[in-house]
Amino acid sequence: MVRVTMQLLIQTIIDGLLVGGLYVAISIGFSLAFGVLDVVDFAVGEWVMLGAFMGVASRAWFGIDPIAFLPAVFVIFALIGFLVAPLIYRVRTSRYARPALMALAFTFGIAMFARGTMMTAVGFDPRTVDTDLVSGTLMIGGLHLPWLRLAGFLFAILSTALFMGFLFFTRTGLAVRATAQNKRNASLMGIDVKRLSAIVYAIYAGMTAMAGVLIGTIYSFTAQVGPEYSLLAFFVVVMAGLGSVGGVLVAGLFLGMLQALVTVYIGADYTLAIVFGVLFLILLVSPQGVLRRGLAA
Amino acid sequence: MRAGGANSARLTARSVIPLVVVVVFLATLPLWVDDYWVRVWTGVAMWAGLAASWNIIGGYAGYISFGHVAFFGIGAYATAILMQPGLDWNFFLTLPVGAVVAGVFAFIVGWPTLRLRGAYFAIATWALAEALAQLVNTVDFTGGSFGLSTPGNAETGFFYYAMLIASALIYLIIFAVFERSRFGYKVKAVRDNEAAAQSLGINTTSVKLQAFVMSAALPAVLGGINAYWITFINPQSVLAGDITDQMVVMALVGGLGHLWGPAIGATVLYLSSTWLNAHFGSSTGYIAMIGALLALIVLFLPDGLVGLMPRARNMRLVRQMLRLPDRRADPGPDPDTSRERS
Repeated sequence: MVRVTMQLLIQTIIDGLLVGGLYVAISIGFSLAFGVLDVVDFAVGEWVMLGAFMGVASRAWFGIDPIAFLPAVFVIFALIGFLVAPLIYRVRTSRYARPALMALAFTFGIAMFARGTMMTAVGFDPRTVDTDLVSGTLMIGGLHLPWLRLAGFLFAILSTALFMGFLFFTRTGLAVRATAQNKRNASLMGIDVKRLSAIVYAIYAGMTAMAGVLIGTIYSFTAQVGPEYSLLAFFVVVMAGLGSVGGVLVAGLFLGMLQALVTVYIGADYTLAIVFGVLFLILLVSPQGVLRRGLAA
Repeated sequence: MRAGGANSARLTARSVIPLVVVVVFLATLPLWVDDYWVRVWTGVAMWAGLAASWNIIGGYAGYISFGHVAFFGIGAYATAILMQPGLDWNFFLTLPVGAVVAGVFAFIVGWPTLRLRGAYFAIATWALAEALAQLVNTVDFTGGSFGLSTPGNAETGFFYYAMLIASALIYLIIFAVFERSRFGYKVKAVRDNEAAAQSLGINTTSVKLQAFVMSAALPAVLGGINAYWITFINPQSVLAGDITDQMVVMALVGGLGHLWGPAIGATVLYLSSTWLNAHFGSSTGYIAMIGALLALIVLFLPDGLVGLMPRARNMRLVRQMLRLPDRRADPGPDPDTSRERS
């Protein structure tokens, strides 16, 4: 009996960690876009939703397996992001009294537009992304590890590693970190902040959409699912401290675990309420984020 | 509007006449239109009140709340629960209860977040609304996802006047508190320069918190009336995120931080959404439309429709929101502007 209970606990924690990897993939670009643009992007969940639908479309329209289509998803959404970013930048640096909040309202508008358009276009039926490339389950010591989730986790680790590499070992990455720390000084050093924020936003949109495809292979989704993922990304980023990249890794895995534990031991209906409760406590106890260290400290 | 003497008297005369026309129009409406249009204008009154309540925190205090539907829903559920058979409260007695509960919720959320940057506040309010909707879906005393019905037996006219009077009171309160009192100046000072306000001895967190609690308690009253009006509520109808979206968009379209802005925005948008629904029957298209509208307004018309009116040149608030560098540099065609300054 004890053995079964322990096994369930370990299984739950591992499930949570695997999903948490995807949350890291969603949040890491989001966090950096915040650092560079200084705008909390309310459209983050909509990039996930749009990415997932792109996964459906790749199979239905082009007959390509969604997993194989991932690079194309990245390119498409990076392009869209590259076009949207200058608008956000324009609002953020405008002469309104509170440009930060106006920019917030702007991304909120973009999110509503994306959601409303998709709801009109595809309706309310839940969908999933089907793939043939990855299937089956890995069994280790009585634990079930679906390959799909492992693949999602690996993708998350890989893209995070690539992203970190970009940040810490390239000149553009150096410019990104400098801009996140101090825009004024960065632009005095000859960094084109506008162009840089467009690049960062493009990478972020592409990464988030790719994560969306992978999430779509694991969970079913509708056009209305965006706000839920925005909320999860906010949780991760608030816990890590807005703009901190290192903390995202820990916070994302923690969120996945928390969610899995709540779902198994308390009930799936309470997940959002408990996630919100924890978010609230974090804001109360440590407003700058529990794990704030590193990038934009 | 604070300028004294003859100038002020003329301003008053000019603003009183349209006000009287609007009041007479609204007060006599049920006498000369059919039930359908009375219901439409009940909706206009409700949204005008909701957008104005949002405008308190969003426009006057400068903190964007993305979860205001929570307070509307709390009011609706307070009324519905207290009017259930067995409790049988009087409808009018349930309204203050909803307002108090919403105010307490606002206090709990605002207290830790209002001292932080605006983004944290926006996230926290949004998370509150999402979590509340899910919680209400789950627990028993709210009827879960099925919802609750209220003993609705009053007539259309009753709800029209109830909604109209509640909204009118909201505008009156906002006018008294934010255009005519020291507290209003404090809130605007905190919005325009928090550090400077603090150095003048204003307890900024407390001022913001009071504004937020007020901004939360008022829509709860409208939520209560709405619950009685539509006779049946569930999380989809009174806790949906679209309701917040509409409040934000209406206030922004009308004119942020302006007394009549939300009323103008609510009238224009509610009437056009009614028209769209009647002709196309699509409500999801409407979400896309107001999303696009929100983005366009922020990009091209940040002071809203109010900013298009020539009289708005005198509107101090709009100027402040826009941070026009120097009023004297702005050669307005209206001579009042120059006189008011001297």
